[in-house]
Amino acid sequence: MTQFLQQLINGLSIGSVYALMAVGYSLVYSIMNFSNFSHGGVIMFGAYFGYFLLAIYKLPFPIAIMVAATLTALLAVIIERIAYNPLRERKAPYLYFIISAMGASIFLENIIIATIGPTFRTYPQIFAKEPFKFGELAVGRLDALMFLGSAICLMLLIYIIEKTKIGKAIRATAYNVKASTLMGVNTGVIIIIVFALGGFLAGIAGVMFGMKYTVYPQIGSITLKSFIAAVFGGLGSLHGAVIGSVLLGVIETFTAGYFSSQYRDLIAFALLIGILIFRPMGLMGKATEDKA
Amino acid sequence: MKRRLAFLLLCVLMVFTMLLSSCAQKPAAANEGPGVIKVGWMGSLSGDQAVWGQCEFDTVKMLIEEQNAKGGVLGMKLEAVGYDTKGDPQEAVNVAKRLTGEDKVIAILGPNSSGSAIPIAPVLEAAKTSDIATVATNPKVTVLDGKVKPYNFRVCFIDPYQGAVAAGYAAEKLNAKTAAVLYDVGDDYSQGLTQYFEEYFVKKGGKIVAKEGFKSGDVDFRPQLSKIKATNPDVIFMPYFFKEVALSANQARELDIQATLLGGDGWPSEQLISMAKDAVEGSYFVNHLDFDDPEVQDFKARYKAKYNKDVELNGYLVHDAFLMLIDAINKAGVADSQKVRDALETTKITGITGKINIGKDTHNPEGKDAAILKIVDGKYVFQQKYAAE
Repeated sequence: MTQFLQQLINGLSIGSVYALMAVGYSLVYSIMNFSNFSHGGVIMFGAYFGYFLLAIYKLPFPIAIMVAATLTALLAVIIERIAYNPLRERKAPYLYFIISAMGASIFLENIIIATIGPTFRTYPQIFAKEPFKFGELAVGRLDALMFLGSAICLMLLIYIIEKTKIGKAIRATAYNVKASTLMGVNTGVIIIIVFALGGFLAGIAGVMFGMKYTVYPQIGSITLKSFIAAVFGGLGSLHGAVIGSVLLGVIETFTAGYFSSQYRDLIAFALLIGILIFRPMGLMGKATEDKA
Repeated sequence: MKRRLAFLLLCVLMVFTMLLSSCAQKPAAANEGPGVIKVGWMGSLSGDQAVWGQCEFDTVKMLIEEQNAKGGVLGMKLEAVGYDTKGDPQEAVNVAKRLTGEDKVIAILGPNSSGSAIPIAPVLEAAKTSDIATVATNPKVTVLDGKVKPYNFRVCFIDPYQGAVAAGYAAEKLNAKTAAVLYDVGDDYSQGLTQYFEEYFVKKGGKIVAKEGFKSGDVDFRPQLSKIKATNPDVIFMPYFFKEVALSANQARELDIQATLLGGDGWPSEQLISMAKDAVEGSYFVNHLDFDDPEVQDFKARYKAKYNKDVELNGYLVHDAFLMLIDAINKAGVADSQKVRDALETTKITGITGKINIGKDTHNPEGKDAAILKIVDGKYVFQQKYAAE
């Protein structure tokens, strides 16, 4: 029983980081209908921003994470302006967006390799390694913070999308770009806001990821898992992305903990293929749209 | 038309960024001419093990400079040619082809991992050029199916020995009755150590209570560690490299696992201490040498003076590999890769990491002592020399 609860806690903490990353994929997909693979690069930059702010400039943690997230929000918007906006104005096919996104992602990774170097770096220790103990159970301080932080960010995001006027405009654009433009929604601005929101969360996810593990230029490829989570939950659906991520995290941990760690990725990817066969729209996705 | 142009531009951009990454590490400028002996080097200059590879290459460059100042070898100057294997076996084969085919080096020093050292054997045989691996400890690097590979040598002891030393020390000196193993299923080095640790630990009367795997690239080990925690072992053997060691050690302590951690020569690195000082406190690992040994101080000081950095483990080993090579070239009396190979087979020198007597049938340095180090206050403290029978 202890083992079960401990694995559940492990799974939830991994899943909550996946969720922060996955909503970025989902947000962009809901508006622009393509998989924004440069998101992994933005997360990686977030991890590096956090590293420099904390290790070199020695800013206090709450300020550092906010500054890092603001910078990545800016970076995401810049990528949108340079890599996607010109394609959108020319009404290029979705395939071009995906290729452009991959190019941006390779570009970001190599900028870091060329300027900062390919070796990994470690965050200074900010939280004590001593876990919170509940009887036999141990919960790392950082894990608790990551779980709470992710939950707060995700709730804020869902509040913005579902309760505010901007959120309404985003949802309208997601539903039908042309019609919402006719209704007076400035879709150009909406797209920028969406990228900024996704980028902001990417920064927070990057800093948390870097703090928990390490910082290295290939972090982006780890976000592949969160992309799977987003597809699993239904690309374009925020609730889906969150639920998909938490489920993926828990399934992974239980596979590794009770079955064999060597089967972990096998099962994660088999799940993705299974979902795509039986529910192409994902767990909570909308079936109406044409997927690219 | 415009769209096609944009697409083309994009392709060019992608190719360019890829090129940029592969060209990041250029070899030392080549000054061609007669009377130059090229010494090849290969290893990781990017990726997880870049810290080690960089130190190796820097050491080789420094030693060659020093040797040239002393008049070179056989009246000829030496020149270093090195390429990045990116820690990738496939890339290692390409690098070996380039060094032997294009640069026509006298011999190759490195690579620093078994995974890269094993697949290059056919290239070496075709080019009749030998390789002296630095910390590639897997038996298959020099001997395959009981037959010695003619062109592969090494300067370090091998995994069976290292695994046995770790197991013997745990059972005899730490009085461990139960052990758990966490290992990298995709890595020859990690698998080799695990296999011999298990065999020897059981032979010594101990019990392996858990054996869990992970894949390189993984960053979260808590599911496996939670499983290990439930079996409550005396020691946990972690036969892999410092980055994963640091992550898994930190996570083990976060899960409130108090067992003593044990490792191999993949551990020692400044990075390990900076990442996981508290978590690895009190842990033991098997190493090639004692960093405080008087024999190594001179080299340590020279390296520090030149690069203003501390030497990593690999620097010491590549130093001795270089000594082996110079000795062999002198014995051969001519800069011919085949003759150098023959001379390497009878190497009998004293390096800074110990006596190096190359066995003709194994191409390994025979009977090299291992050092047991303990981590105390973030420092590597020498415990004793330990030899497993």
